[in-house]
Amino acid sequence: MKKILIIEDDLLISSLVQFRLKKDGYETHLVCDGNEGILAIDALNPDLIITDVMMPFRSGIEIIHHAKQSQPNTPIIVLSSLGEEEQVVLEAFNMGVADFIPKPFNPNELAIRVKRILK
Amino acid sequence: MIRIFCWTIVGLLLFLPGWIQAQEDFIPEDSVEFRDFLILQKEVTGLGYRFFIPEAQLPDSLHVDSLFQFSQTVSGFESRYFVDFTKAKELENTLINKGVSYRLDYIVLSEVVSTSAAQEYLVDLVRDADYPIKRGELKPTEDFVSLASQTPYSPTKQFKLKFLSDYRLFVVTVMIIFFFLVASIMIVSMLSMKAGKNKRENLQKEYGKRIIAPLTSLLFEKELHEIQEMELEEIHSFFPKNLLARPMYQHVLIDNIIGLNKKMKGDFKEKLKALYKKLGLDKISIKTLHHKKWDRATMALVQINEMDLVEALPEVKKFTNSTNFHVRSMAVATLLNLSEKVDLIFLRDQTYPLSLWQQMNYLRIIRFVGSQKGLKLEILFDSKNQSIRIFGIKLVRILGRVDLIEKLAGIAGGVSEEEKEEILETYAALGAYMETAFINDCLKSSNRALSLAAAKAAAVVGDSGSADILVDLIGAETVFRKKHSYLKSLYGVDKDKFAEVTLNNANPEMLELRNHILDPMLQNV
Repeated sequence: MKKILIIEDDLLISSLVQFRLKKDGYETHLVCDGNEGILAIDALNPDLIITDVMMPFRSGIEIIHHAKQSQPNTPIIVLSSLGEEEQVVLEAFNMGVADFIPKPFNPNELAIRVKRILK
Repeated sequence: MIRIFCWTIVGLLLFLPGWIQAQEDFIPEDSVEFRDFLILQKEVTGLGYRFFIPEAQLPDSLHVDSLFQFSQTVSGFESRYFVDFTKAKELENTLINKGVSYRLDYIVLSEVVSTSAAQEYLVDLVRDADYPIKRGELKPTEDFVSLASQTPYSPTKQFKLKFLSDYRLFVVTVMIIFFFLVASIMIVSMLSMKAGKNKRENLQKEYGKRIIAPLTSLLFEKELHEIQEMELEEIHSFFPKNLLARPMYQHVLIDNIIGLNKKMKGDFKEKLKALYKKLGLDKISIKTLHHKKWDRATMALVQINEMDLVEALPEVKKFTNSTNFHVRSMAVATLLNLSEKVDLIFLRDQTYPLSLWQQMNYLRIIRFVGSQKGLKLEILFDSKNQSIRIFGIKLVRILGRVDLIEKLAGIAGGVSEEEKEEILETYAALGAYMETAFINDCLKSSNRALSLAAAKAAAVVGDSGSADILVDLIGAETVFRKKHSYLKSLYGVDKDKFAEVTLNNANPEMLELRNHILDPMLQNV
């Protein structure tokens, strides 16, 4: 079973994403801030990371940076309301993220992208 | 605990001054009583007495008296110094039996003082706790009645009255008590407020967690029509009836659904809107519109806008001319966004001037809805509010409504000069060549700002008449910048006339202006 780490400070959004991904048979883990996210990356060794950008303690960009150093082969999907800010999107892609989904988003669309990346 | 502490402080404050006062009060003010009091004390440090006989001759029996040991002075005879007050009575009786008139003098630290000074000395000793008063019953003597008759009446509740009558002490005590009371009330109220806030926050978190599971399962497991057809009992199986009745739970539900609606796309949005109505939250939003706090009313408008509560629009309409800036801005935005047929009458009738922020906000919505709904912008030209009319003219320009140029021409003659400037800018932007007569009229205006605006419009849609007027204006103008603007407009209208005016002029400034206008590098400088 593929392991997905969801790093998102909005509990409702992360629960919705978790619910949708569980339906597709993935093992999901939720953390709600940047610090916990970095610890979880090292501890869980996930197959995919879904992360927000604006979060308490550590930003999503810092998380991507850490993930790319410790586990360079793990794909990352950025889920953020900063989708309209070109600078953030560019920075994320330059760091090697697999996908960038701007909020508002459709959880079903996210599930399709996850499936495609983990294929 | 706090109560005990407060009462202890108050008690000490009341008791300490009273106790000291009581010690002092014990010393009698009357001379006879004071003497009896001293007899009771036996000896007082630093306080003594002697007898003085103010006579020229002293009886022989007293001359040799070893007890008194009288010595002669200028005014009479004085006895030796006594410290034991218990002997005073006996000594007095001896003198009375010998038929000698005498006077008792008090001596404080080897100095003869009056009775009142001796009393004050004793009071000071007591106050400084240097002398402990011996208390005892003064036994009635045979001259008790006569003594009593000499003693003036003093109230028995002297202790209490003295405390109250010493206004400085009383005021200070009251102030300290007041300070402690206010501080205590503030601490208690702060603690209770903090406790209440923590309780509310914890409850909100708890409700937030409880909402996640039913909301998630409803959004993923139910189709839109299934949510719309859900019975109340079924709804209550997801969201318990007793919780739904609680305002805090309703508030958390509204916040979560609105928040989720902003972050979701596709059919999830529709499901959330259907759920909002099924849970009866739409009624709460409409009710909150009339809340006395403006921020709550504005939040209700945001909820109506986000959840597309079209049925609330008649109520929303009532707030388009609200005295509160945020309420009326949000009400207008909601109406623009949700109205099936936006007739803009509600905007026309606004009495408050539109700020630039409001204009930008409304424009953003109108741009979005304008393509879907046929907006009758001309209604805004009939407004009694100048800022609304100007906004209407700007909308014609920004939305490119060429069909409304004729309407603008109809009102152009009778509007203010500020509106005329906007109309001129609109004519230039939309290329209204048929309106050159109005532009030429404005060029001739004594208002320089209007004349300059007309010149800018003439540069785009002007005719030969405009060129002639511009030539006249250039000749009469003395201000460099204005002359430059007119010349630039003339260059736009008629290049030949521009060359004629600038080259056939002896003024070297005109040549500089010409070079500046013709230089492509300096066009925007």
